[in-house]
Amino acid sequence: MPSPREVMDALPAEDARLLPTPAAVRAPRPGLLPLLLLGPAVAWTFLFFLLPLAVMVWQSVQHDGLSLFHYRKLLSTPLYLSAIMTTFQISLGVTAGSLLLGYPVAYVIATAGPRVRGLVLLLVVIPYWLDYIVRSYSWMVLLGRMGLVNRSLIEIGLISEPLSLLYSIWSVNIGMIQILLPLMVLTLYGAMHGIDQRLVQAAAIHGAGPWQAFRRVFFPLSLPGVYGASLLTFVVSMGFYITPALLGGRKQTMISQLIYTLASDMLDWPLASAASVLLLILSLAIVLVYNRLFSIDRLWGGATS
Amino acid sequence: MRTGPPRIALGAVVTCTLAYLLFPVLVVVVISFSSVGYLRFPPPSLSLRWYAKLLDTPAWIESFWVTLEVGSLTMAFATLLGVPAAFALLRLPIRGKAALNALLLMALITPSIIKGLATYLFFVPYGLINSVVGLACAQTVSALPYVVINVGASLKGFDATLERAAIIHGARPLTAILRITLPIIAPGILVGAVFAFLSSAQELLVAIFLLGTVRKPLAVKMWEGVRESVDPTIAAASSGVILMAVALFVVAALLQKRARRLYAR
Repeated sequence: MPSPREVMDALPAEDARLLPTPAAVRAPRPGLLPLLLLGPAVAWTFLFFLLPLAVMVWQSVQHDGLSLFHYRKLLSTPLYLSAIMTTFQISLGVTAGSLLLGYPVAYVIATAGPRVRGLVLLLVVIPYWLDYIVRSYSWMVLLGRMGLVNRSLIEIGLISEPLSLLYSIWSVNIGMIQILLPLMVLTLYGAMHGIDQRLVQAAAIHGAGPWQAFRRVFFPLSLPGVYGASLLTFVVSMGFYITPALLGGRKQTMISQLIYTLASDMLDWPLASAASVLLLILSLAIVLVYNRLFSIDRLWGGATS
Repeated sequence: MRTGPPRIALGAVVTCTLAYLLFPVLVVVVISFSSVGYLRFPPPSLSLRWYAKLLDTPAWIESFWVTLEVGSLTMAFATLLGVPAAFALLRLPIRGKAALNALLLMALITPSIIKGLATYLFFVPYGLINSVVGLACAQTVSALPYVVINVGASLKGFDATLERAAIIHGARPLTAILRITLPIIAPGILVGAVFAFLSSAQELLVAIFLLGTVRKPLAVKMWEGVRESVDPTIAAASSGVILMAVALFVVAALLQKRARRLYAR
């Protein structure tokens, strides 16, 4: 793995250099200042993140010397393969669900007046304060055999026996979408925020109905945001551990759970490392696509502007 | 576009989605005051027994302390590293900004199981596991992006002419930043710091790998709790985490206000 310095040097300089900022103009020695400000953070990330990852990669290719033994084992064992497939399946479903539910919310935030915008934004970030364990626990309360959902369904006479809602693909989806929805909404909103509303007004002036103006003007303009937010949601959901462990059954085992079992129950560190590297590569590939399409710079404005 | 059936339908859909988003939060808050030990929502009656149980159990108290220690350290590290980094990323002409941004994003989205396993493998030979500081060092990596993103966003919205005005009137650049820029973007720093604390307090897997066997932060204790029994203790514990974060936020806000008053003199 190349060091950040090498990666930095390999990349073309940003055009931002052409426009000196006030700080740059007055900096006594511009060569030293970035190092002073950024150095600690980069060194820290290198020491406690990239270096450990390198150690893990190294462990994953050790088997009587260098070998891909663990990767072959991983990809030839049906149990492990099915965890990978399950991870993709769940992440796809969760991403689609979050997008479907999140798009209208982001749209309202982006187009409403400041009052409604503030209120909806506030409501969307409230769940951030609760951690995944408790939010999943909450669904255990609601979806259990004698939970609110089952009791209500029995009360109104739709069913006579409680349904087993927990420990299924449904409960995992419901729990994960609830957790990832704020991320989806905020990222979508970040993109929609930049859409010039005058374009929609222009469409209306030229005779388009509200639906047509939305479908022909706003929606296409929001598509890059849709792709970006979906990629981000997908990649985050691939690493989920707590929610599938609490709300899923045996069939909903995701890669993170597999890695945990390999490492802490079977003490098979090299195989656990290989599975981690695989998950990491998948995540990084998606992040690279994201970066290609949108440039990560977008994140700066995403949450607050 | 403001009225009419489509707008009403949209409003209904969004209201339902928000209800789905917030209902579990309501459930947790209400159930933490439940009077019974089985899963029942709404609970038959209200009580404080789960909060009392938390306060009566030394293991839970210990967990609160561990989380507070790790979380505050993480918050301090991430803020000290992140604020200067955000300044550099937003204001200086640096080569390879894209790579640095990518590194931050990577630190943010790398699954915690990978962070946990990798740091564990890295720490073991050096005897760094089972240490609160070691855990905080590892969690700082995930907390850093929250600080950089929030401070970066504040800096972007900050009117740099104010700083220039101070310099024109004879302030040294560093003084201008300390007395003009930092106080104005302080809310962004605060939000970033609280996010950093929360990300540390809510992190489970890295904590299990690096600290889990000796001292248990709240997340680990709650994780064990929810798998042992389904009683509402963990709902009460999570209200505790929120209280801690809010308290930290208030303390930090007060400190910042005081600092500003001292400076203004």
